[in-house]
Amino acid sequence: MIKNNNNQSDRPQGLSRKTFLKNTAWTLIGSVMTPTLLKAEKGRAMPADNRSGMEKEIGSANRTLLKNVRLETGFEYDQLEVVSTKTALFCIALEGGKIVAVLPNNPGADAIDAQGLLMLPSFKDMHIHLDKTFYGDKWQAIRRGPGGIKGMIALEQKILPDMLKNSTYKAEKLIELLQSKGSGYARSHVNIEPTSQLNSLKHLQIALENKKSTFGAELVAFPQHGVYYTASAPYMREAAQSGIDYIGGVDPFSIDGAIEKTMDFTIGLALEFNKGIDIHLHESSQSGLKTVEYLINKVHENQVLKGRTFLSHCFCLGRLDSERQAEMAAKLSDAGIGIVSTIPFGGLVMPIPTLLKHNVKVMTGNDSIVDHWNTFGSGSVLQKAHLAAQLYGRKTEFDLSRMLALATAGIMPLDDKGRQVWPVPGDAADFVLIDASCSAEAVARISTVKSLYHNGNPVF
Amino acid sequence: MSTISQIRDQFEPLSASGHYVLKNVLLETGFNKEGDTLESTRTALYNVEIEAGHIKRVWQGNVNAADVIDGKNYLMLPAFKDMHVHIDKTLYGLPWQAASARRRTIYDMIAYEQQIIPELLKTSAKRAEALMGLMQGYGTSFARTHFNVEPTSGMQSLENLQLALENQRDCFDAELVAFPQHGIYYTDSADLMKEAAKIKAVDFIGGVDPYGVDKTIEKVLDFTVDLALENNKGIDIHLHDMGKEGLDTVYYLIKKVGENPQLKGRTYISHCYVLGRLDTKILTDVAEKLTEAKIGIVSSIPFAGLVMPVPTLIRHGVEVMVGNDNIQDHWSTFGSGNMLQKAQLMAELYGWTSEYDLSRALRFATGGILPLTDAGALSWPAAGKKADYLLVNASCSAEAVSRVPKVMALAHKGNLRWL
Repeated sequence: MIKNNNNQSDRPQGLSRKTFLKNTAWTLIGSVMTPTLLKAEKGRAMPADNRSGMEKEIGSANRTLLKNVRLETGFEYDQLEVVSTKTALFCIALEGGKIVAVLPNNPGADAIDAQGLLMLPSFKDMHIHLDKTFYGDKWQAIRRGPGGIKGMIALEQKILPDMLKNSTYKAEKLIELLQSKGSGYARSHVNIEPTSQLNSLKHLQIALENKKSTFGAELVAFPQHGVYYTASAPYMREAAQSGIDYIGGVDPFSIDGAIEKTMDFTIGLALEFNKGIDIHLHESSQSGLKTVEYLINKVHENQVLKGRTFLSHCFCLGRLDSERQAEMAAKLSDAGIGIVSTIPFGGLVMPIPTLLKHNVKVMTGNDSIVDHWNTFGSGSVLQKAHLAAQLYGRKTEFDLSRMLALATAGIMPLDDKGRQVWPVPGDAADFVLIDASCSAEAVARISTVKSLYHNGNPVF
Repeated sequence: MSTISQIRDQFEPLSASGHYVLKNVLLETGFNKEGDTLESTRTALYNVEIEAGHIKRVWQGNVNAADVIDGKNYLMLPAFKDMHVHIDKTLYGLPWQAASARRRTIYDMIAYEQQIIPELLKTSAKRAEALMGLMQGYGTSFARTHFNVEPTSGMQSLENLQLALENQRDCFDAELVAFPQHGIYYTDSADLMKEAAKIKAVDFIGGVDPYGVDKTIEKVLDFTVDLALENNKGIDIHLHDMGKEGLDTVYYLIKKVGENPQLKGRTYISHCYVLGRLDTKILTDVAEKLTEAKIGIVSSIPFAGLVMPVPTLIRHGVEVMVGNDNIQDHWSTFGSGNMLQKAQLMAELYGWTSEYDLSRALRFATGGILPLTDAGALSWPAAGKKADYLLVNASCSAEAVSRVPKVMALAHKGNLRWL
């Protein structure tokens, strides 16, 4: 017997069961926010499909006001232990892509109603390959052939021409996935090699242009097939002059067979074109460590690279004993070199707590979402922060709240002492409204992102 | 910001029950191979007739029935089973509260439970339902749930849980483990356990760290085994103890099951972390003996520090089942409630990345059932099987495990709800 039609549009309005199930207790019944609801509210919210004129339109006369915005205001202590996070409701004014005022709440204001949702800095995926994905296309599991990394390069040479055919479309789909998980920004590596030449970059740049009012990105020219193993150096030079922000690299020793020659090329290019550096380093043996040390020395020789140089993955740190880890962390910190990690678990665990203790800049990213390298990426960096919390035993209110920094690439509403440091007037209007009572809960429960603002623009 | 009053009965009405036909559901029909390489999973659209809680017929082609539900090309998979969870004792539905660093030992935790349980019990029935709702949203309609039996709760945690289960009977089933969380002897729980064991609805006699809590392995296990035998129940013991004591506990239980073969296939060790720390030789010995005694391992798949040797256990034929354990409580706040997420975690942790390996990993979400046999023959759904199924937005099991897509509908005993 069929009791009612299963057509979802026939279902009664109100809180759907799905929403109830996923959010049960944190959603006030009858006050579920939907994007349409948000946009239909008064205030300066723009329709999502009318963004082209947005930047011009938001001028000094155009202020967006949000009310009933929950902000963290401090920690509640029991003796020395943080037992909970204090929050309160506020009005937030946005203008010209900035947060211009944090005001006492006025529930009666003519404003977009955030309905008590928690405002957090929007998330940033700091290591992803937007240009090279199966996302949005047919499912396929990975088929790891023989030959290790060089086998993978051969595979890419075979499949990339086909993948490039709709890579703009897939990049846009992937950006939409990231946005749905609260990310408004990414550092994307872009394949630069003789097969793709500059096409992977060009296709991605089109996608980013199409998404520019709702998503920001910085790009890393990534010689996936080696600088010299395939003749990529001329393409890297060209890429360095084509709108990228970082010079990338990958495993100089295992792919190109020489650490110094490749590293010198990378560093030279960064210096010549005033770019940062972000190198994939998977080598977990001696060669990996040598590469790190070589890079540290080079950054000391070229101070302009401090704070602009990153090592992605850097698995070799996970293989050191704890004393050596601390030593390397101190050296990295001293050189202002950051580590970007996908938070691996199981076989190899990165010494992220040690790195953080030594003030190394640690960021995270999904890396692969679904592609020929890996098919497990969720697209959520909040999930990465959750993973890190679980992996490193960060389960208390305070420790969980600190893990949020991984999802936001460093920004947290409260500093370690519980002082409110975000948002303040002048901060970028890049934030999420999330169904959580505090950062700690958001990290532990991977709470649902209900709304994303980028550069003052409502994305959803 | 949440209170119990905000949890309501928000379950959608049934979309279908009793006798109906589900059309346009995607079923897996085989593996596509290219040489020795398994390239992809073959699927096709089918109709499935459901009657009286069972699958009556599976066929392709025309549908001549009045009551037809459109499966919208979604993949049909067996409903998920969470084989280790504490539905009776959760903070789910209460205001957010992180774990405290102050409570370090099991005794700290017992003392804390003695303090908070009376309050939790006031709303535990309603919140147990909410937790089942969360699980159903992720496609789970069956659980093996432990329920606290100790002097603080008495039988109240069970009674509240049973109330919740009764309310959910159309869409959720559970098997129950009487769980002496505060020890059999550390707190005076033996008589309460005897009382619980007599209750028909109770399926398993539980336990926790005989050495770690009660400081006596044999006395506690003898008590547990005797209680199971006297009342014709299974056994499912939490074992977090490591080292010699942990291993001694495993071997002693193996010995007792060997002496009482009626316990074979009905005895489980949950967690059993000690297996994650054994060298290969001892692990092989234990795995072989567990297989011989038909003792299963139930794991929440830890990955921080300790990793369970699940692939080795499986290779030796040990039954391995999986559960969320804590979803959100004073022990841990990290549980998603999603069994597909557990299967994905396993695939990632153990390197099951190929189409074939991913497809096999689905069984950890379904309590063992797979649509395709290892050889690629369609074995589920089939006439006569229970109509416990779900519809998911995926092209095949492998994709479902890898991508953890949204579950669109869940049916329990044929009772179908769109989610």
